[in-house]
Amino acid sequence: MSQDQPFIGIDLGTTNSAVATLVDGVPRLIPSRSGQSLTPSMVAVARNGKRLVGQMAKRQAITNAENTAYGAKRLIGRRWGSLEVEDARKVLPFELVPGPEGSDIRVVLGGRAFAIPELSALVLAELKADAEAFFGRRVTKAVITVPAYFNDGQRHATKDAGRIAGLEVVRIINEPTSAALAYGFGKQMEKRVVVFDLGGGTFDVSILDVGRSVYDVIAVGGDTYLGGEDFDRRIIDWLVQSFAEEHQGIDLREDKMALQRLRDAAERAKVELSEIEQAAILLPFLAGGGDGRAALHFDRQLTRSKLEELTLDLVQRAIAVTDRTLRDAGVRPGDVDEVLLVGGMTRMPGVQQAVRAFFGREPSRGVHPEEVVALGAAIQAQALLHPRGDKDILLLDVTPQNLGIMLVGGYFATIIPRNTTVPTSQAHLFTTVQDNQSSVRIAVLQGASEKAVENELLGEFVLDGIRPGQRGEVDIEVTFEISAEGIVGVSARDSGTGTRQSISVTATSGLSEPEMRRIMDENLDDLLARRQVGDFEKLRERTHAILSELESLAPAVKATLSRSRFGKDAVQRAEDVVARARGALADQDLQKLSAVEESLDRALQLFRGLATGAGPAPKEQA
Amino acid sequence: MTRVAELLDQGVRAYTRGDATEAERLWCRALEIEPDNERVRAYLRQVRSDQAAPPATTVPPPGPFVRSPWDAGPATSPVVIVDEGSGLDLGAVDEKSDIHDLVPEQRRQEPEPAPGYVAAWMEEARELFALGDFSGSLGLIERILRIDSGHAEARAYLRQNEATLVAMYESKMGSLSIRPRLAIHPEEILWLNLDHRAGFLLAQIDGTVSYEDLFALSGLPRLDTARILASLVSEGVIR
Repeated sequence: MSQDQPFIGIDLGTTNSAVATLVDGVPRLIPSRSGQSLTPSMVAVARNGKRLVGQMAKRQAITNAENTAYGAKRLIGRRWGSLEVEDARKVLPFELVPGPEGSDIRVVLGGRAFAIPELSALVLAELKADAEAFFGRRVTKAVITVPAYFNDGQRHATKDAGRIAGLEVVRIINEPTSAALAYGFGKQMEKRVVVFDLGGGTFDVSILDVGRSVYDVIAVGGDTYLGGEDFDRRIIDWLVQSFAEEHQGIDLREDKMALQRLRDAAERAKVELSEIEQAAILLPFLAGGGDGRAALHFDRQLTRSKLEELTLDLVQRAIAVTDRTLRDAGVRPGDVDEVLLVGGMTRMPGVQQAVRAFFGREPSRGVHPEEVVALGAAIQAQALLHPRGDKDILLLDVTPQNLGIMLVGGYFATIIPRNTTVPTSQAHLFTTVQDNQSSVRIAVLQGASEKAVENELLGEFVLDGIRPGQRGEVDIEVTFEISAEGIVGVSARDSGTGTRQSISVTATSGLSEPEMRRIMDENLDDLLARRQVGDFEKLRERTHAILSELESLAPAVKATLSRSRFGKDAVQRAEDVVARARGALADQDLQKLSAVEESLDRALQLFRGLATGAGPAPKEQA
Repeated sequence: MTRVAELLDQGVRAYTRGDATEAERLWCRALEIEPDNERVRAYLRQVRSDQAAPPATTVPPPGPFVRSPWDAGPATSPVVIVDEGSGLDLGAVDEKSDIHDLVPEQRRQEPEPAPGYVAAWMEEARELFALGDFSGSLGLIERILRIDSGHAEARAYLRQNEATLVAMYESKMGSLSIRPRLAIHPEEILWLNLDHRAGFLLAQIDGTVSYEDLFALSGLPRLDTARILASLVSEGVIR
C-alpha cells in the first residue's frame, strides 16, 4: 500500500453508499468494518437513544420507521416548501420540519432536529471510519460523487456534509462521469456513452460524450422514486399475500417485526435470483399464532420467472424513461457506442435483457455495478492528489448547470453554459425594452429550462441611472465571472455612462457557518460520549466479574464468620459496597461505578481472605 | 452435505410444510442409513407423537342450522314506572330493566381488588425481592402499578427489580460487545420453542452485531431483550 497520505473516493448514494481507494494503482473497494461492501445511507435514533448508522439503522428501519432517516440525498440542498420536498413529505415516515431560517429542511429523529447535510455527514463519517480501519491511519481527503443534475446548492451541501464528517472534499464529480472513468473510457477515442444507473432508490440515465479529460454530460433523465426498494416491495407484497392465504388472513403488514424480516428476506432473495433460478425464503417464528398458540413459520420458494413477472412494469418504466431521455437529446439507441450498467438492480437478468433489447447491443460488463461509481471517484482522487503523469485523467472543474439572467417575457438567457471550465468570465450585451428606461432588474438564475421561473434564482439586483434613450439603443453589458472557488460574480454596466452595479453569489447548503461549527462540536461531544460508553462497558465487565466472585465466595465467608466473633461489621460494609455497585450498574453511571471500584476491590480482598482463612484483619477492610 | 444430513433437512422442510407423512418417510430412510443417529430418532419420535395426538386445527363439520336468538326479534323490555315529581332515577331504571353500562373487556377480566390487596401484594413483593426472586417480585409490582400507577414504593421496587434482572440476564451473556453466533444448525431452529419476538431477535444474530447492538435493534424494552437473549444463551442456541 502506498505510504502517501491516503485518499478515498465516495459514492454517496440515495440508498447505499460505498468507499474506494487505489491499492498499488488498482482501484479497490474498501469493505465496511463488518465486512459488507455497501453501507446503507440510513441514520436512526434507536428506542434506547443510541444513534445508528448504515447497516444497523437498516436492520431496524421498519420497526422504528419514524426515527430512521433514509434518502437524505433526495432532500439535500433543497428548500423548504419546494415541490421535491412536498413530494417527499407525502411518502416519508419520518418528520420533516423547516430549519431556523425557514428555508432549509430538518429531519426529526428521537426528538432532535438534524440538518440534511448532518445526516449525510453521519454516513460519510461511517465510511471514513471504515477507510481508517482499512488503512490503519487517519483519512482526510476525498472525492465525492453526486448526480449530474445536482445544482450548485446541492453540491455545496454535499461538500458541507464532508466537512462535518471531518473530510476535505477535494472535488465533487458527477456519478456517470465517475462510472465512465472506472470503465476506463477517456483513454480511448471519443465515444458516446449511456450510463444506465438503476440503484436502490433512484433511476438515472445519462448520455455522455467522452474524450480525454472531457466528460460532457449532454443529457440526463430519470425517476427519483424508482429503484431496488420498489422491487423489494413487490416481493414483500407477494409474500404477505401468500402468508395470508395460508394462515386465515393474517396480515403481516400489521406486525412490524415480521415486516422487517420479510423485507430483509425479500432483498436477499432478489440478490440471489441474479445468480440462481430459485431462492428459498425460510423465516422461522415469523409471527405470533394468537391465542397462546405457537409462533408461525414461513417457507416459500421464489423463482426468477416469478420475480420478473412481479416487477415487469418497473423494468418497463425504466426503459420508457431511457427512451424519453434519448429522444429529448435527439440521440437514437443505435448512435450509442457503449452502455454502462450501474447500480445493484442492473445485476438482475431481466433488467439486462431489457437494456439489451432496447439498445440492440450488449451492455458493458467488467466492473461491479454497485462499486463502479466509488471506484471512479477513487481514480479521480488519485489523479488530483498523487498525479502520475500521463497515466491519469484529470477532470476539469466545470459548471454543472447553465448560468444566466431573466429576459423580458420570463425567458432565460444563458451566459455561461454548463460544462464550462472554471475559472471563467463571459460578457453579453443587452438593451432596454422601453423608451427612456432608467433602471433594469438583473435576476441571476441557474438551470436548464428556457423559462426563467423553472430555474433556480441565485440572486438579483437593480441597475439604476441608465442614460435616457430610445428603446433598443441603450447597451447594458452583463458580465458573469466564476472564480476557482465557485463564487459567481455578476455585474451590469451601462456602456454609455459607465454606471455599474454588481452582486456576488456563493452557493450555500442552508447551513450558516456558526451552525456548521455547532454541529461539528456536537459530533465531537457525541464521539466523547461514545468513548465514555466504551469506558463504562469495560468497567461494567470488571464489576460483574468481581460481583460473581464475591457471590461464589459468600458461602465460605459465612462459614468462617459463623465460627468467629469478628468481621461481621466489615462484611456488612462490604455488602453495602456491593449494593452501591449494583445501583451504579443499574443507573449505567460511569462516575458512581468509578467511585465504588476501589471499595469493591477491597471487599473482594476481604472475602478472599475470609474464605481462605488467611486474609488481612477484617477491621481494616471495606 | 451427507446423504443423512440431506434427508434430515428435506424432512424438516416437509414437516414445516405440514407434510408429516413425507417427513416421517424421509427420516425413516435416514435411519436406515444410520440406525444409531440420535437426532433422526428424536425427530421420528416427535413426528409420531404429533400424528398420534388429534390435530389441533381439526374443526367439527358444520351441523344443520339451529335457530338463532336473533330470529325471535327484539326482546320486550319490562315497563319501568317512574314516580311523578321524583325525577328520573337512572340507577332504579338500570336495576329494574337490567340495563347496565358496558365496561372494557380488560377491566371485566381483572376486577378492581380491595385496597387491602395492594398492601398484601406489596408485602409479598418485598419478601420475594429479599429472597432473590426478582421475577416474582416484578410480577406483583406490575399488578400493583396497573391499579395504582403512582405507587411510590412499587415504582422504586420496579426499578430495582428490573435493574437487577437486567444485570442478571446480562451477566449470562458476558461482555455486551461480544457478537453472538448461532450455536446450532439453522434447520434445528424450527425445533425450538420460541415466540415471534425471540424469532425476530434470533434472525438478527449473524455474527456481525453485538449484544449491545441487539438492544438497540430490537425495539423491545431492555428487560425483555435481555430475558430473551439470556434464555437463548442458556439453552445453547447462541454463543
